[in-house]
Amino acid sequence: MSDGTPPAETSSSPEEVSPPNTGPQDPLQTASATDRMVIEYLRARGHTSAEQALLDALDSGDPDDKGKGPETSTISTEELVKRLAVYAQKPSRPGENVLNDSGNVLQELTTMGNPTNIQNLIASIGAVGAEEILSLDPTDKQDGFTELEAWVDGSLDMYRPEFRPILFPIFCHFYLDLIQSGFKEAALKFFKTFASPLAPAHSATLHHLSTLFLPSHVQNDDLAQRFRNEKYVVRMSRSGFGLLIGWLTEGVGGEATGAGEGFSGERGKRGRAAVMRVVNNHLRFDVTASNTSSVSPNAWEESTGLLSSLIPQANGASANLTNPQVFNSSNGELKLGPAPVPEELRLEAERVLREQAVVERDPSVQYDSFSLRPAVQGVVAPSESDLPPLPPTFKTIDVNREVEKVRDARKRIRLEPSALTSVDLNSPQSGAARARALPSICAYTLHDAGEGAPCSTFSADISLMAAGFAESYIRIWSLKGEKLKGLRSDFQASSIRDSASIQKIREKGGSSTRKLIGHSGPVYSLSFDPLSGSAGPPKYLLSASADATARLWSLDTMTNIVAYRGHQNPVWDIQWNPMGIYFATGSRDRTARLWSTDRTSCLRVYAGHLKDVDCLKFHPNSLYLATGSSDWTARLWDVQRGSCVRVFIGHQGTVSSLAISPDGRYLASAGEDLAINLWDLGSGRRIKKMTGHTASIYSLAFSEESSLLVSGGADWTVRCWDVKGTGGPVVKPRENGSMGNGDSTIVRYGDGDNNETTDLLSTFPTKRTPIINVQFTPRNLCLVAGTYQTPDSR
Amino acid sequence: MSKPKARASQSQSTGVYKQDSIRDVAESLGITNLSDAVTSSLASDVEYRIHQVVEEASRFMRHARRTTMTTSDIDQALRVLNIEPLYGHSPHNPPAFRRALPFPQLPTAGPVYFVEDEEIDFDRVLREEKITLPKGVNWTAHWLAVEGVQPLIPENPPAIPRDPEDVSKSPPRTNTAFPPTPPSPSRPTAKKQQQQQLVKQVLSRELQLYYTRLTSSLLPPSSSDHAKRTAALASLRNDAGLQALLPYLIRWIGEGVVSGLKEGAQSENDGKVLEVLIDVISAILENNTLFVEPYLHQILPPILSTLLHSSLPPSHATHLRTSASQTLSRLLTQHSTTYPSLSPRIMKTLLLALISPAKSKGTREGAIRGLIGVGKEAVRKGLIEGGGTKVVGSECAPGETGPLVDAVIDAFKVLQPPSDMPETATPEVTEQLNEVIGNHFAAYLSGDQTWSLGVLSDTSQS
Repeated sequence: MSDGTPPAETSSSPEEVSPPNTGPQDPLQTASATDRMVIEYLRARGHTSAEQALLDALDSGDPDDKGKGPETSTISTEELVKRLAVYAQKPSRPGENVLNDSGNVLQELTTMGNPTNIQNLIASIGAVGAEEILSLDPTDKQDGFTELEAWVDGSLDMYRPEFRPILFPIFCHFYLDLIQSGFKEAALKFFKTFASPLAPAHSATLHHLSTLFLPSHVQNDDLAQRFRNEKYVVRMSRSGFGLLIGWLTEGVGGEATGAGEGFSGERGKRGRAAVMRVVNNHLRFDVTASNTSSVSPNAWEESTGLLSSLIPQANGASANLTNPQVFNSSNGELKLGPAPVPEELRLEAERVLREQAVVERDPSVQYDSFSLRPAVQGVVAPSESDLPPLPPTFKTIDVNREVEKVRDARKRIRLEPSALTSVDLNSPQSGAARARALPSICAYTLHDAGEGAPCSTFSADISLMAAGFAESYIRIWSLKGEKLKGLRSDFQASSIRDSASIQKIREKGGSSTRKLIGHSGPVYSLSFDPLSGSAGPPKYLLSASADATARLWSLDTMTNIVAYRGHQNPVWDIQWNPMGIYFATGSRDRTARLWSTDRTSCLRVYAGHLKDVDCLKFHPNSLYLATGSSDWTARLWDVQRGSCVRVFIGHQGTVSSLAISPDGRYLASAGEDLAINLWDLGSGRRIKKMTGHTASIYSLAFSEESSLLVSGGADWTVRCWDVKGTGGPVVKPRENGSMGNGDSTIVRYGDGDNNETTDLLSTFPTKRTPIINVQFTPRNLCLVAGTYQTPDSR
Repeated sequence: MSKPKARASQSQSTGVYKQDSIRDVAESLGITNLSDAVTSSLASDVEYRIHQVVEEASRFMRHARRTTMTTSDIDQALRVLNIEPLYGHSPHNPPAFRRALPFPQLPTAGPVYFVEDEEIDFDRVLREEKITLPKGVNWTAHWLAVEGVQPLIPENPPAIPRDPEDVSKSPPRTNTAFPPTPPSPSRPTAKKQQQQQLVKQVLSRELQLYYTRLTSSLLPPSSSDHAKRTAALASLRNDAGLQALLPYLIRWIGEGVVSGLKEGAQSENDGKVLEVLIDVISAILENNTLFVEPYLHQILPPILSTLLHSSLPPSHATHLRTSASQTLSRLLTQHSTTYPSLSPRIMKTLLLALISPAKSKGTREGAIRGLIGVGKEAVRKGLIEGGGTKVVGSECAPGETGPLVDAVIDAFKVLQPPSDMPETATPEVTEQLNEVIGNHFAAYLSGDQTWSLGVLSDTSQS
């Protein structure tokens, strides 16, 4: 967003000034630095003013210097001087040769540990260099972080929301530094002291880091390596950034009062130097031009974090894109309009509708694609050639589907959540407004589900419900109570002449439920084929399972007809293309794949996510595929080209569920951070964040008008959200002095019971049923399914 | 990075997996001389690996839409990490870890946990327990919301009244620019309230006061506050608006009768108590504003118990039984039209008490009085056709008089009032009398020809 503007240049300069320690030229550079260090040290005894001058020179040079080679070495030397000056002033320090004595210095300074071990450690480090040794000192990290925290907490209220996010990356780097250097206890102590205030927002990452104990872990762990190798993007306003630089260099700026004062001496300086090192090496500031007060508190975290690897590389470009907005806008316009209906099919459907209109004496039934789905303003509709290849001719089933769509559109219950916002909740009109705004929800509760049902789905005509079970089987129920009869296999092919003779070879008897057996692992996702729409029962069912296969089941024969192998790992999600024929799967192997039912190998592999693809959804016009991943991002892929066209960064946890609005404009994503984000597909920007759920969100669904979002989750509730509403946290009048400390003035998300945003229209609790599936019928009836948990079950 | 040197002074707890555990495992493999440095780094590494597996398993847990991790999740995680899963753990049957009793000899050992391994005796299982197959998965459907309102049906959790705080807050909120917030039932404070709201206060304070006053003026019965009691009964008989009290009153009566009869019921006081209670029942029945019908099944037991109890206080017995039978009669006349099965059922009870052997005289008398209360038909059925008189007569000593005999005579009087100028029955009639009602009572009737014929006529007619 602001990358091209001067402030961004400002932001990038400090990091360029001091290159990372881990470069290939590192030994050379440190060797020369060691030499210089001796000289500098001898000079530095008592010459603190000279050092200060150097510091000042650095500060003034910051904005316009472009980080040339000489500069870099000066900086690192200068840092050494600064640190050595501290030792020089210690009275107990014997004034001998530094190189012989570095072990002793550490011995004095480390508060814990056995001297011989430290010496061993230093011996093992050997010639790596004094800078390395000095950076090993665990106490300055502790001091530095204490002071940084005090500075952030002591800063003005208006700056605090933007300063707070920098605590987390610095904490992580300090912790990883300590572990990397083998200071396990110091690291644990550090973690114990400082982790708790960060825990609410970053619990997943913190927990992961806390499991790393040994340097080898840091080297082998994906997340730790991402912290090491990527820049952590922090967003700041220009004035806030200036204050931070001022504090880092001089210890002033902002309101560094209170607890910070005790460290204003040399120890504080050393701590700040440690902070500075992380800031220079591992942080990147995205400096916004906007005013501090005009940015909402939660916008500071949006599109921040370890971004560079999350954003796909634009075809072969060497430069890492660091802003998702830049990537999203570089991918051009999307064609989000409704898919065109083939001309012949349209004519045929019109004909059938006219005939029916005559029979029913209802001339108002007309096939009109505009009445079906009113044209959405500002989106480009794709042409027929944009669509993935489809059969050239249409069948009766297609005509029936199109005809039924028109009927559904006419008989739909209109839901207008906006009606609710304008009405006083306690007034007598509120009941009528609720009825207009909120859907009727029918809950299907599974009982005695054994080890649990990970997934469930309804067919579009509500004639069938399917559930996949942890015990590797799928069960289908006829919701109409009809008997599900498959075709027998023991018949003479010659005896089949017409549809009547096919009916004859159906099984006798049967019940209203069938068990489909074939998978060898828990079934994680199911999808009924969309071809018959709401006009008739579906013919096929797809399933995805932990056994790394996807399977196609025929509902005529009630058997498995194809197993699609290709994924290496459990397949988490599967969905039909809205036009049928194609389907997509998302797997633990970090890819999503596109398949067609008639081929056993996949057609496209969508690779780019850093972790599991947990969920996916097709865009209603079937040009795009949205995927949600454990790398906390959601992406939008061009189905045919196989390239990523949008990336959505903003969740603070695994993306657990997705929904795309029927009008094709919005993407809703639910994450393990218990928030639902609403994104604009066209621009890739987040529209708003909706919070209120108190446990994982399992399923999302838009109403047919795209005006209402329904979510269901592990907190046994179904919640209705206003898509068009402005949202934002509930602003409560705060009782002054009730909390005492400064925290009470910040509106924070995830704050106990105060986390419901205003666009949460209604919450419908169930008794003890986690909602695993939420779905709207074409006529806007909401269906939800879940497994009842008996109170004694675990 | 070089290999870290663990420190000898590392004694603090670094995590879940302790160095001691490493040492124990090593010793079990025959390695005894592990250095601290090795155990420490091994412990750290083992813990890291465990966390890796658990992190992987948590994904499987999430995708299985559960919030509790099971052994199957760990199994799946091990599988995808290319490690052989641990066999023998079924998620259906989670191992229960138990803490062993502390060893006094080894205080340093710390808590020891073990997996309980229950021994199953097949013989016993096959003999005693019926093994039922689980029903299998099924589903039910219900309306979670109808047009945005959650219906109050058993499938849905009970409605939570809106936060009083919320209500008080919402008017000012609507004045501001912010849209009104819907009630949030998930708030913890609201949940606490839900618990309390389940017991709903039905009785108003006034009714509660009335109830205490009423019951205290009725019982305990002392002769002094006779007026008070009369007033209370009159109030009960005539006052409107006592419907809400009815269940409480009826329970109070029931309890009073039970306690009055239980304590042997020989004392004067008990008799009085019962008398009052019967009066209360009849007062309730007399009150036109009360809708008693739903409570009939609760009113009948006290009446019938009083009627049929074997040993009522002698001073009050006859009066009690008579008034109970009158109350019963009133009850039947009022309600037998709406409950056609009521009188047959009561008659059956009374007949059983009258005819079946080994009942006390009190019970027999009560039964006869009850039958009188039920009506003429019942008396005829019980005493004449059912042979009740015979039974009673055979139990009576010759020439005996008493409440039982009086009751029988009263019953005969119900059938046919004695004539003013009795003339001796003819021998045929006397013979018939002896045959139908037994010698004992035939003697009473034989002096009156009309009466005897009246009593008998029905038998011959039927």
